[in-house]
Amino acid sequence: MLVLRRRAGESLLIGDDIEIELLAVTAQGAKIGIRAPRDMVVLRKELRITREQNARAALAPPLQDFTSAIRKLRV
Amino acid sequence: MPSVNTKYFGTMAYAEESVYDFPSGLPAFEEHRRFVLIEQPEHAPLVFLQSLLKPELCFLAFPILVVDRDYQLGIAEEDRAALELEPDRQPELGTEALVLTLVALRDNFPPTANLMAPIVINLKTRRGLQAIRHDSLYSHQHPIEWHAAEQTC
Repeated sequence: MLVLRRRAGESLLIGDDIEIELLAVTAQGAKIGIRAPRDMVVLRKELRITREQNARAALAPPLQDFTSAIRKLRV
Repeated sequence: MPSVNTKYFGTMAYAEESVYDFPSGLPAFEEHRRFVLIEQPEHAPLVFLQSLLKPELCFLAFPILVVDRDYQLGIAEEDRAALELEPDRQPELGTEALVLTLVALRDNFPPTANLMAPIVINLKTRRGLQAIRHDSLYSHQHPIEWHAAEQTC
C-alpha cells in the first residue's frame, strides 16, 4: 500500500480524472472530498462488506443443518 | 388476515401491523422493503427475518445481546435521523429499538454474526434499516458464542 502524509487542504490525484482532497482532520475522523467522473462508483468499504455479508447470510442452509451447528456452540 | 409463504415454515398468517418497513431495503436486497419477524420457541433465541416479497429470502438473526452481551450501540447520526430516533443519543434496547444481528454460515466454518452492521428497528414506527457502523469496533464476521441466558432484543 502506498502511504502518503497529507494536511488539510492538500490533495492527491489518481490517474487523470480522480482527485481526493483531505478537507479537515478532527478527533472524530478525517473529512475527505472526492472529485471523480459521474459514472465512477464511490462507496464506503463497509457498505460493500455488508452487501457481501448479506448475500452470504441470504444463502442460509436448511434449517436443520443450521440449528445443529448453532446447538454445538451452546455454552 | 394476509398470509406469507415462508422459507422455513410453510404458509403463515400475519397481522398487517406486525410488518416491519425497510424503506431502503437492505444492502444487496434493496427491493425487499417489508419483513416479518418469525419467532419459534423451539429455535429461540434465533429469529427469522422473512421477506414478504420473496419466500426464499429469510435471514437468520439473533437479538444482538445474545451474541455479545456487552454490545455498545453505535448507530450513525444519519441512520438515527432516518429512523426518527433521538438525534443526540443511542436508543434504548428493547424499549425504543429492536436490534438484531444477521447470521451467516459458511461451509465448514462456524456461524458468524455481522456486528458491524446490525438491523435496527424503531419500535414505535416499526421502521427499520441496516445501520452500518463507521467505527471499527465490531467485526462483520463475529464468531457466535451463544449465551442462552440473554434473550432480550
